[in-house]
Amino acid sequence: MIEVVGLKKHFRAADGSLVRAVDGVSFSVAPGEIVGLLGANGAGKTTTMRLLATLLAPTAGTARIAGYDILTDPIGVRRHLGYLSATTGVPDRLTPREVLEFAGRLHGLDRAAIAERSASLLHTLGLESCASRPCGRLSSGQRQRVSLGRALVHDPPALILDEPTNALDVVGARDLLALLDTLRDAGRTILVSTHRLHEIERRCCRFVVIHAGRVVAQGTQEEFSAEPGGLERAFFAAVEGSAPT
Amino acid sequence: MSGMVRHPRWAAIRGVASRDLLEFIRDRRTLFVTLLMPMAMYPILALASTLGLRTALADLDAKQAPQPIVVVLSGADAEAMAQRIMKVARGSGGSIPDWPAMVTVEPTRPWEAKHRLDTGNADAWIHLPQSAAETLDGQETLTLNVRLAKARVNDTRLRRHIRTLGEAVAEDARRRRVAAAGLPEGLLEPIIVRFADKEVAARTPALDGVFPSAVAAVLVLLALLTATGGFYPAIDAIAGEKERGTIETLLITPASTLDIVRGKFLAVFAVTLMSLAANALSVALTAAVLLRLLPDGMELGISRHAAVSCAATTLAVFVGLAAVAAAACLAVTSAARSTKEAQNALTPVILLTSGLAGSALVPGVGGPFVAMVPFAGQVSVAREALVGETDWPISLLLLLSLTASAIATWILLRAAAAALADEEVLFRGPDSAGSITARPAPRDVPTPMQGFAVGLAALALLWYSQGVAPADPTFAIPISQGALLATLAVMAVWQRVNRWRTFRIVWPGSVSRGGLMLVAAAFLGAGLAVLGATLLHAARGPELSGSARDMAEQIVKLLLARPWWVGWLLVVILPAICEELFFRGWMLSAFAGKRPSRGRAVSAVLVQAAAFAAFHLFPEKMPQTFVLGAVLGWMTLATGSLLPGIVAHAAHNAVPLVFLAVAGRERLEQASVAGVPVQTWVSALVAVVVGFAVIRAASTKRE
Repeated sequence: MIEVVGLKKHFRAADGSLVRAVDGVSFSVAPGEIVGLLGANGAGKTTTMRLLATLLAPTAGTARIAGYDILTDPIGVRRHLGYLSATTGVPDRLTPREVLEFAGRLHGLDRAAIAERSASLLHTLGLESCASRPCGRLSSGQRQRVSLGRALVHDPPALILDEPTNALDVVGARDLLALLDTLRDAGRTILVSTHRLHEIERRCCRFVVIHAGRVVAQGTQEEFSAEPGGLERAFFAAVEGSAPT
Repeated sequence: MSGMVRHPRWAAIRGVASRDLLEFIRDRRTLFVTLLMPMAMYPILALASTLGLRTALADLDAKQAPQPIVVVLSGADAEAMAQRIMKVARGSGGSIPDWPAMVTVEPTRPWEAKHRLDTGNADAWIHLPQSAAETLDGQETLTLNVRLAKARVNDTRLRRHIRTLGEAVAEDARRRRVAAAGLPEGLLEPIIVRFADKEVAARTPALDGVFPSAVAAVLVLLALLTATGGFYPAIDAIAGEKERGTIETLLITPASTLDIVRGKFLAVFAVTLMSLAANALSVALTAAVLLRLLPDGMELGISRHAAVSCAATTLAVFVGLAAVAAAACLAVTSAARSTKEAQNALTPVILLTSGLAGSALVPGVGGPFVAMVPFAGQVSVAREALVGETDWPISLLLLLSLTASAIATWILLRAAAAALADEEVLFRGPDSAGSITARPAPRDVPTPMQGFAVGLAALALLWYSQGVAPADPTFAIPISQGALLATLAVMAVWQRVNRWRTFRIVWPGSVSRGGLMLVAAAFLGAGLAVLGATLLHAARGPELSGSARDMAEQIVKLLLARPWWVGWLLVVILPAICEELFFRGWMLSAFAGKRPSRGRAVSAVLVQAAAFAAFHLFPEKMPQTFVLGAVLGWMTLATGSLLPGIVAHAAHNAVPLVFLAVAGRERLEQASVAGVPVQTWVSALVAVVVGFAVIRAASTKRE
């Protein structure tokens, strides 16, 4: 379960002006749900996700991930969260197997659990053939799958994926989204953001549209798809209809 | 829990360490810089310097080796005296120090003697007085006026040879006089000293001059290359990870930022130690080759056992240096957004390292206090172990150095963790985003980097101002304090910090509680001044360094010559305000941040206290100034205000003025020789304890 309540993140820009990157965002994601966080560049999606991942401290408001508060128990949040952002990289000189093993060690898994989870993820993500090749020599799609494996190594109940299909080709994106379906069916709570609306239109249970740091629309997949022109039209209507800041 | 390790924190630290180490050793650049470069560099340096070293040694030998001398005599007894001196010369020499290689004494006429001296055919000319031989055999003293050849006037070796020759003739005359008087020869030699053991392996004179300098140069190079060993791994470990986008993968694990930094430290420390080992091995092998190339008969003068012991001490103390270097590199790179920014920031660190290491080579620099200074201390202790010129036990110096290294490492790792968690550095875009004139974004308090930058700028400005400031403290004090204020004003405006939160000029608590704190602060400051003087006297006696004594005398002159308020303004009020604004305002706020954890607060207090001590420039007073700075830092953080610090600092500086006004100059000087009276320092101790307790209690209530 992901519950976001009145989350705010303000900071000073280089010119001294106050930037309200996230300005009172509230929404929730239930277990077994994929929720799409939609917004244009600079809308505040990435900052919201970084706040949820405890990489940033909120100015006000809070959130709970799998029952753990991001303010009072950030370690608990990180133990139960898998996070993948658009800018997350993989170490060039380590192999996918090593990346998964070290991630497991950092999450406190013992040797047996690491071996079992690594083998399972390498198989699921189709990385067995390149498991011993340095990540620097992998394709961008393979690297993204390694990143996803790293986020899943501790089998977290909640997942936050910031533009996970960005570097992937059509096939790679399809496989990754299929994996999300599997995870959703297994009861995981998944929050995903992307620019490629068509990829998630049929997969998400609900959508949250964010613009200038505020939630300007949210509803079920059925509600958004019922609009003439589908999700894309509903998205533009929400963004263009919101009050300018 | 099933599937989980028992100690997840240690597992995370070890996980980060082994992950980073694996990455480092798979990087050819790191291996080259840390391991292969030292192995190749020392032989190259040694080859280049061997020729110079051999020439220098040969030159030193030539300068110190005995030389033949030609002395011409003129005057009535020239013939007889020449024969007599030659007879003495033939019977002397051998084991006498400074004895010439060969002595030629020839009688001649004065004009010919002068000609021979001018043309270089004689080294010295002695015109004998009347009845010289008679005087020598009588009971009077014969004075010989020696003129040296123009080209040899400054030849100390020639002067030593002639003095030794004169002494030999005098000894012969003494024995003749004793025999003539019918006295026993034992009269001239009442005692003979003989050692039961033979002197072992004394260094040859030439090597005595070269050995300490060569050791010092190698130690500085070793310190520099060891520190450089941490340079690239630290950049790769933090700034590189930020650039590659992999740092997030660590920050979203359950490991705390400090544990991540600890893991990274272990990896960088391991590489720095490998670099140290490679350097030490290369130094040892190069030294072995160089020793074989020494001129014949020249010995190192150090036994195998002593050499092993010295090498072990050097390695042990340099392990501390490697730890501090690794932690310093990590702290600096943590505050950088990119590898380029990290490289720029690390360059001054390496320069600072070289400067500190080099400062340990200044004659007279050593002892327990220097042993605790990072980089200078390790080089100093290693040099003392090898050269053996200190009165302090090496084991004590080693212990102090290692303890100080551990504390410095701890502080630096805390600083690295604080910098790594800085959101602005992590997520506000690359360092190249702003133009060259772009000002930093407004902040409540300065960043640690801004704290360091201002500290360095002020220290440089202070140093330059000494070149133009007159010795008179009436002008020197305002100039030095002005250097601080000017730096501070420029930086505070440029960097747009919140001046109230940075400088904390607020009344501490309620009217009555704040007033109580200020009174307690005054007691604490004055008490510390007296205790500091007591301890300084106990440690060093009444002797101060020349510069400190000059400064003290100048200030006493100022106090006696100028109106009373000038002294109070310059010695008490101005430094209390300017230095508190600078050290406890800017620097402490920069290092502690807005809401510091206990560890970060302690680190911040210690670092700004070290800067405060360095700013005062007198080595013997640095421990006292460091303690004062630490107490004032604690006071500022505890009370949330700069005012108690200003009052305590003013009271501290006012103590000598009050003593001077109450007791007079004579009694003040007597006290500086005899030490602080017992009742005075006991009262000071009580004042410190009471002041500390009151401030602690009042600030706890404030919270």
